[in-house]
Amino acid sequence: MTPSLTRRGLAGLALGLALGGALPALAQSSGEPVMIGVSGPLTGPQAQYGALWKQGFDLALERINAEGGIDGRPLEYTFEDSQNDPRQTIAIAQKFISDPAIVVEVGDFSSTASMAASPLYQRGGLVQFGFTNSHPDFTKTGDYMWSSSISQSQEQQVMADYAVDRLGLRRIAVLHLNTDWGTTAKNIFVEEAKKRGAEVVAAEGYLPDEKDFRATLTRIKASDPDGLLLESYYSDGALLVRQIREVGIDLPIVAVGSVYSPDFLSLAGDAANGVHTTAYFTPVSPRPEVQAFIKDFTAEYGQEPNNFNAMAYDTMNILAEVMRRHGTTREEIKAGLGEISGVPSVLFPEVSFDPETRRVMGLEPTELIVKDGAFQLFQP
Amino acid sequence: MSSGALLSATGVTRRFGGIIAVDGVDLHVREGEFLSVIGPNGAGKTTLFNLISGQDRMDEGRVMLEGRDITNLSPRRMAEAGVARTFQHGRVFGNLSVMDNVLIGCHTRLRAARPRVPVVAPVLEILRALIRPASVRAEEAAMREEVRAIVATFGERLTPRLDEPTYALSYANRRRVEIARALALHPRILILDEPTAGMNESETVEMRDIVDALKRQGRTILLIEHKLDMVMRLSDRVMAMDNGRVIAEGTPAAVRDDPKVIEAYLGHATIGGGEPAEASLMPGTSRAAGGVQ
Amino acid sequence: MGSILSLPWFDFTVSGVVIGSIYALMAVGLALIFGVANLINFAHGAVFTVGAYVGWVCAVALGLPLWATVPLVALGGGLVGAGIEYIAIRPLNRQSRIAPLLATIGVGLILDQIVHILFGANPRALPVPMPGWRVSVGQGSIGPIDITIFVTAVIAAAALYAFLFRTRLGMAVRATAQDEDAAKQMGVNIHAVNMAVFAIAGALGAIAGLLVGIYYNAIDPNTSFQIMLKGMVAIVIGGMANVPGAIGGGVILGLIESYGIALFGASYRNLFAFAVLLLMLLVKPNGLFAKGREREAEPMTGTFVIQSMPVRPPGWLLALGVAAAALVPLAGQPYLTQVMTNAFLYALAAISLTLIAGTVGLVSIGHAALLAIGAYASALLTIAGLPVALGLVAAAAITALLGTALAYPAFRLRGHYVAIGTLAIGEIVSLVILNWTSLTNGSMGVFGIPPLTLFGVDFFSTNPSYWLVLGLVVVFALLQTRLLSSHLGRTWRAIREDTVAAETYGVGSNYYKGLAYGFAGFTAGLAGAVTAHQFSYINFDTFNLLTSVLILTIVILGGLGNVTGAIVAAVLVAGLPEMFRVLAEYRMLFYGAALLLLIRFRPRGLLGSG
Ligand SMILES: Nc1ncnc2c1ncn2[C@@H]1O[C@H](COP(=O)(O)OP(=O)(O)O)[C@@H](O)[C@H]1O
Ligand SMILES: [Mg+2]
Repeated sequence: MTPSLTRRGLAGLALGLALGGALPALAQSSGEPVMIGVSGPLTGPQAQYGALWKQGFDLALERINAEGGIDGRPLEYTFEDSQNDPRQTIAIAQKFISDPAIVVEVGDFSSTASMAASPLYQRGGLVQFGFTNSHPDFTKTGDYMWSSSISQSQEQQVMADYAVDRLGLRRIAVLHLNTDWGTTAKNIFVEEAKKRGAEVVAAEGYLPDEKDFRATLTRIKASDPDGLLLESYYSDGALLVRQIREVGIDLPIVAVGSVYSPDFLSLAGDAANGVHTTAYFTPVSPRPEVQAFIKDFTAEYGQEPNNFNAMAYDTMNILAEVMRRHGTTREEIKAGLGEISGVPSVLFPEVSFDPETRRVMGLEPTELIVKDGAFQLFQP
Repeated sequence: MSSGALLSATGVTRRFGGIIAVDGVDLHVREGEFLSVIGPNGAGKTTLFNLISGQDRMDEGRVMLEGRDITNLSPRRMAEAGVARTFQHGRVFGNLSVMDNVLIGCHTRLRAARPRVPVVAPVLEILRALIRPASVRAEEAAMREEVRAIVATFGERLTPRLDEPTYALSYANRRRVEIARALALHPRILILDEPTAGMNESETVEMRDIVDALKRQGRTILLIEHKLDMVMRLSDRVMAMDNGRVIAEGTPAAVRDDPKVIEAYLGHATIGGGEPAEASLMPGTSRAAGGVQ
Repeated sequence: MGSILSLPWFDFTVSGVVIGSIYALMAVGLALIFGVANLINFAHGAVFTVGAYVGWVCAVALGLPLWATVPLVALGGGLVGAGIEYIAIRPLNRQSRIAPLLATIGVGLILDQIVHILFGANPRALPVPMPGWRVSVGQGSIGPIDITIFVTAVIAAAALYAFLFRTRLGMAVRATAQDEDAAKQMGVNIHAVNMAVFAIAGALGAIAGLLVGIYYNAIDPNTSFQIMLKGMVAIVIGGMANVPGAIGGGVILGLIESYGIALFGASYRNLFAFAVLLLMLLVKPNGLFAKGREREAEPMTGTFVIQSMPVRPPGWLLALGVAAAALVPLAGQPYLTQVMTNAFLYALAAISLTLIAGTVGLVSIGHAALLAIGAYASALLTIAGLPVALGLVAAAAITALLGTALAYPAFRLRGHYVAIGTLAIGEIVSLVILNWTSLTNGSMGVFGIPPLTLFGVDFFSTNPSYWLVLGLVVVFALLQTRLLSSHLGRTWRAIREDTVAAETYGVGSNYYKGLAYGFAGFTAGLAGAVTAHQFSYINFDTFNLLTSVLILTIVILGGLGNVTGAIVAAVLVAGLPEMFRVLAEYRMLFYGAALLLLIRFRPRGLLGSG
């Protein structure tokens, strides 16, 4: 872990200056830049995710532009801080829609914040590419909403497969973030588990800023489950697994893929061992795209990438590929997303979108378990 | 109940923890009578008046006003019953103009602006304040006219300052505003708690003349006062208190010469004239804090 | 009810005591400060966070051992505490009690934001080697850090108690608390005493941050407010200034939450905490451990409205301003128009709060609750099929009624108990929305709220919605101004100036506070409803505590009670940072600094309080 963000920020600034100075000399890409509008949190409670995005974006753009950008034009983005607040996302939407230089919009972080702005993007005819928006309704506002995020129904089927079919759990207790994301996930999981012949014996929601789960876990324990499922982000997921062990619950834990982060391991410490999860992006994958990304990322930032880095990285690559193949106007990008296939990606074997749901097709999750403080392939 | 009394309090008692601040006091005031209550500091005068005017609840006792039981009514009901009072330490509404301060005194008499219909009264009151039908406008105009008249009885002291906020007034003027506010209630009985507290000699004389004028209007007045000079001149009857009890009652001269009264005052080291010690301990009401003039 | 009896009550008790001792540790510092400064230090949570990060720097970045980390953390917290006293408390000595309370909110925002800028929002691990043993208690276990937290809280309370009642400086501290003027006359250096107390409390808060960080092995800059609120509830239970009582209050709060979770589930936890807070304020404001009927706490009279003459801009200037505002969309910049729409929605909310907080003097930190009620009412009614126009009006009326009913318990509170009480009511509203799933759809929020279409006319596009909101602001500003010039205006202000005197002249203060809340609720409900139709999605967190603080900042900036001021300030506070988005990253810093500087240098606001 790097000592502080500031130092890293300064290093990044220095790097940026150095690159800026070097660019004309190298002349990889020039001319009018192709501009992507990013709406995401740089401040507020979700600010860390905006920071993770930036790392992924920057790494991808560095490579894309070194290879000549979009037909010689550099690909760039402008990042507007929304604090993940719907009030801000709609204002930002106005800004992007009215700015002819913006050809596609990316974000926002939560489905809530994104969906407040969706009607505007739909009316304004600008593609809203919500690459973290797993809410099943996100792409339903209209045909300008696209997402490379695995939808929650896809994700929860995977979780149910893992917990019920692979691990043989029959009485599952669910702990979920009491947000639209966590509650939706929980509801779908309950359905999917039932389909597979398992029962959800307890479901407890908690708020994102909660830290203490002892009483909640005592209640969970009283429901006599044979395994726990966490619909959590990595930070609260880490708090949970620590306290799960402290209150003496010694049952299998399956956590949704959003805990897949090195920070989960450092925050949870020893308690993370034995936790099951899945990932679409994982360093243990032998695919060359993945290995190249990890190498570049680690060289650039001095730390291993996480899921959000990878999603951000993929997003820029997908959009760049769409623009290269189909053009850079707003309409061309929209049409291109529906037609494109075979885009190399870190998260997926290859990217293509279902034109009906406007989501990625052909997922291949990797089943993982934490062993010796590291995510490893799960081999039963 | 003594016949002919406008206000009669019997057996009024108030305890604070161990202290009995007011101990079985009887008090009767006839219509048009001027009754003064004297006594050293801590005798229980203010507490007694608080009980009569509803600021505090008595532990025992009963208060009747014109044959109606008003024991322990809320201050609001007391005001509606016609009891108006001023406060020892002065309680004008600092950020309100003189006019608005006195208009608050008219509050209980507002009819058009304050509809007394059940359930929908709140909505009606807001709507009338917004729409201001002729009846509301006429009432407001009449009240304002009356306020000017009341204020005019203080000569040229307040009239030019009608629209100034009271925090900008002199201490004496603020006491005048308080009395004007009390008069605007059209009180059946007027209770004045040390109206000259913190005033200098000439202001005291002026206040005495004001109270004298009120008396000559035939008002029923209850007065707490330290300055015996004023008490002697104005009172029809005087009641002396010490340690929560009435120790003497009668004509001003009789009470003044009562040995028990003299002893009570000597025991507390002050009698008449001199400024009571408590006034100087109250920074909020001292002349220094009296604002600009 | 065999199932209830068969619950593992012992384990719930252990859980309650474990979290309760964290609350207690926070509460001890808050109680100490309240005892001396008669103030709830809203920045105490930020000190906690600072402590955690100083701890991280020492223990992780510098690799210092724990025995070296603890004193450094205490030193850091002590310095921050002393700084808070010097910057936010001392200069406000002569102002009303609510002023320093608001100043501490400002300082808290600033400190949090600084930590955020320096360290980022990512939670960090705080791995400090601790002895590996754990004691089995019931079915679970507790470790050395759990015990350390509890023992630290108890030792701190005991040491402070001994200090306050056994040492000379302690005597001075208590003398200061009881009568500042008398203490001054007896030669006590009040500033030094106050600063010492804030430093001690700061050191304690910082150590709490370190210990809790170690306990969870996680620190992040967004913890401050929650943990501070829990500490606050604990001291209300234990008796505001009662240092040993704070321990009891913390543990009792922990137990109440734990048992509440046992019976109703985890999502009710905070609902219990705030319901207990409100109940205590109303029923036992002196705390559970108060002996008998104590002398009533000093009534915190004197509202925040200081003596000033509000600026009255001439009519033509106001008309010109409105005309200029109406022309904004013609600039052809939809982003600007949208930002201004947001600003005017804040203005509508601020107009309503300035009536309550400024004119009537009930300084509310829960105003967002009214917006939330309006938003949900209109959203749910229109989704059920009511036309949007009717939905807006119905929502406003419902907010007027419900808001008044909910705020009614706070009417009898005074001074900054009003602030705490309204804060609790605001949180309760938000938590009821979260938990009343059958009505509100719970944490999923409400999707698919119809866009603003009034009588078949489009008001959802950028420009029409802007004009609609601007129109509402103008209309309600005029209506409120007219009310203020009626008998209601003087009656409300009289209640604010001196409730006792007003009652003595026949003014039913609760009734008139209710009228003000009714009218303000109508306005705020409308603002919330319009917002809901704009967003098309709302949830329990759309209108949160930060919204309340922001609206209050706007109202203070404009001048309490000043309608024009509220509008101007809304444009400045809600509009400016968005127009200069470079500032966006420092938005919270901007809000915090604005609040602090205003209270310090211009408490009457830009246009003067009325
Ligand atoms: N609210 C109170 N709590 C406790 N004691 C009080 C209170 N009000 C008055 N007292 C006590 O009651 C006694 C009478 O006080 P007061 O009526 O103010 O006297 P006076 O007006 O005659 O100077 C005094 O001993 C005073 O300390
Ligand atoms: Mg007295």
